[in-house]
Amino acid sequence: MAIRARRYADAKAQASTNTELLWWVFMRVSGVVMVFLVLGHILMNFVLIDVNTINYQYVAGRLSNTTWKIYDWLILVLAMLHGMNGLRYVMDDWIRDPSRRFVTKAVVYSLAVLVTVVGSFSLLNHDFSKDLSQNTPTQGTMTKP
Amino acid sequence: MYRGREGQWAFFLHRISGLALLLWLFIHTLNIASAMWGPAVSNRLMAFFHVPIFQIGLLLVTAAAMYHSFNGLRIILMDFTGWGVRYQRQLWYGVLGLCVLLAIPGLILTVPRILHAASHGGGQ
Ligand code: HEM
Repeated sequence: MAIRARRYADAKAQASTNTELLWWVFMRVSGVVMVFLVLGHILMNFVLIDVNTINYQYVAGRLSNTTWKIYDWLILVLAMLHGMNGLRYVMDDWIRDPSRRFVTKAVVYSLAVLVTVVGSFSLLNHDFSKDLSQNTPTQGTMTKP
Repeated sequence: MYRGREGQWAFFLHRISGLALLLWLFIHTLNIASAMWGPAVSNRLMAFFHVPIFQIGLLLVTAAAMYHSFNGLRIILMDFTGWGVRYQRQLWYGVLGLCVLLAIPGLILTVPRILHAASHGGGQ
């Protein structure tokens, strides 16, 4: 069961398992970190620049930059874990029938894994330099053997 | 519920904004990751999301992020300080105030661009 405490001491008393208490702590720690990561991300990509100018060139450039790879991947992983655990609280609350709850969770968790894998590949395991180099030639890179 | 009127609204808005952000995380991740399939696919999808109605949606997602962030900090203050629960109502008005305060310059910057794009038939 999700914890409904308003203090750490209450949370500890109410936690059915150690794992549940760990999630309770994780929701708060990841939350504090994400305030800066998420609001900073929105500021950089929506408020300070015109979203209408965002195109492939902009995205591929960002996805090729090590700083943004780390920054964006941190958001992806923290928000996915935090959001999915939050959704687990909501599903436990709203879906009464155990078998329907089980099926819903199975579908939702599978989707989450899929999106996380696809997102991680785009950030960590894809070389964008080939398409980018059409406009900004880089010397000596991407030469086929 | 036990924390009365404001507490109930604070909780409901926190839940809805959290779910909205999660839905956005899914769509946004797939949209950005589509760059792996090259400029043609990526730019088509991006042009689709630059339609004005989605930009209004983007404003709502931003509002959800601000509310959920600041109210999350309020929850954390209530959990870890001796005085947080006592002032939870005042803190909630602080959260709403901060959202409105930040929304004003944000809207001044973003709304003209959205209107401009709308009058030029969408993005790109
Ligand atoms: C940006 C900073 C954020 C902060 C400070 C924050 C903080 C919190 C806190 C303190 C909780 C309550 C956890 C509990 O009841 O034990 C929570 C719940 C939740 N959060 Fe966040 N969060 C943030 C970002 C996000 C993001 C990006 C998402 C979506 C991907 C998200 C989705 C949720 C959901 C779905 C819940 C469950 C709501 C409920 O149980 O009613 N949060 N958040």
